[in-house]
Order: sequence, then C-alpha cells, then structure tokens
Amino acid sequence: MTYWAINAFFLAAVALVALAAVVKARSVRTAADPRRSDTGPRWSTVGLAAIALLITTAVFDNVMIGIGLVAYNPDLISGAFVGIAPLEDFAYAIAAVVLLPSLWHLLPARGSRPSTGTGPSTGTRPSTGSGTAGAPGPSTDSGTAGGPRA
Amino acid sequence: MGLLYLAALLVSLTGMVVLDRRFQLYFWADARRAAVVSAVGVVFFVVWDLFGIGLGIFFRGETAFMTGLQVAPELPLEELFFLALLVYVTMNLYGAFGRLLVPAVTKRGVGA
Repeated sequence: MTYWAINAFFLAAVALVALAAVVKARSVRTAADPRRSDTGPRWSTVGLAAIALLITTAVFDNVMIGIGLVAYNPDLISGAFVGIAPLEDFAYAIAAVVLLPSLWHLLPARGSRPSTGTGPSTGTRPSTGSGTAGAPGPSTDSGTAGGPRA
Repeated sequence: MGLLYLAALLVSLTGMVVLDRRFQLYFWADARRAAVVSAVGVVFFVVWDLFGIGLGIFFRGETAFMTGLQVAPELPLEELFFLALLVYVTMNLYGAFGRLLVPAVTKRGVGA
C-alpha cells in the first residue's frame, strides 16, 4: 500500500468529521435560534490557517528530513516532492486544519446549554454568526467584555 | 545532542502556550474543548503514523538529534511531541485568523 493510499483512507475519515460538523451547524441554524452563533467551521479561516500551515510544513519538513529525523521507502511514495519533502506529507497538515476545527465545533462550547443556547457565553451580536464559538478565541466569554451585556 | 530535537519541540510548544495564553486562542478560550480536540487529534495522527510505519512507508531516521527512545517500533518519543505541536499550531492559527476575520467580537474591549 502506498503513502497516498493510506493518506486517502485518513483524509476520508477527516472529510466525514467535517461533514458532521457542517450538518450539525446547519441543524443549529435551522432551529430558528438566532442566539446560537456557532455556525460550524469557518472555511475562510480554515483556508488562511491552511496556507500558513502548508508553508510551515514545507519549511520544517525539509529541515526534519534534511537532518535525518525521518526517512521514506522510495518505492511507496509518489516521487512528487516539495524540496526533499514528499508531497504526501502535506496530507497531515491538510487533515489537521480540517479535522481539528471540525471537532472543535462539534463539541459544545463552554457554558453553552444545548437546549436553549442562551447561556452567558452566547452574549455576542446574534447577527455576526461568528461569536460564541465561531472559532477558538476569546469570543466565548470575552465577547461580552466590550459588549452591551458585559 | 540526543535531546536537541525534543528540546526544540518543547521550546516550540512553550511558544504556542505563551501565544495561547496571551491571546486566548485555544486552551485559554475553552480548555475543555481544547483538551478533547488535542487528545483526539494526537491519537488520530499517531494511528496514521503507526499505519505508515507498519506498511513500511516511513521510518525513524538514524540521527544523533533524537533520544533514541521509542514508544512503538520506529515511532520515536519525539513524534508524540511533534504531533502535539502540529495540533497546537493548527488551532492557534485557526483561533488567530478567526480573530482577524471577525475583529468586532474578539478584541478584548480594545476598540471593539
């Protein structure tokens, strides 16, 4: 089995988790509860993080391979490289940047009450669709720090 | 020499913790969710590694920069810290870029 074959398996698992996060966010939105502002993974944010992570991976993977921390069976990789890093290695970065934010949004936010979604941590502007748990960040509780509900 | 890679990873992880604490990006945003995401993430990538190792796709390099301790055949101790760093960097980036794209709800009362 090649490196791409095993990557396809794990990337498919990541895609399923992302799909679950999207479905969950959609069901929350259609629940007609405007105070629930966790609309699932924000893909523009994921995209920016992916760019940064891929650049970081390109740099450090080359260093790690260059100093001999890891080596590859040439018969099982595609032969496509970024520097001396197999292109397949970048699947880890792609998986991380999709899987982890999806998991984050699948988990209930701190202080949230699933039945009402109006816990103290949801006191952000309802219309932004990005408050309470739109992304990890201080929005969970500090969103109220400068807001009218503080 | 054998501690060099592990030390570099620990320094990098410390940097992630400092940034997280300063800007409330991940654990300091929601510690419970961050703990679950991190644990699941590291386990997921370790399993991926074990498949890659088991299939003979990649293996530990012969280098003086690692301790030589292995948590499984060809899986160096350092890899656990590397994967933890990958998870932490990813989620700090997600938190930070999320902040940049939605400044109104994220600046802690500074010009918000």
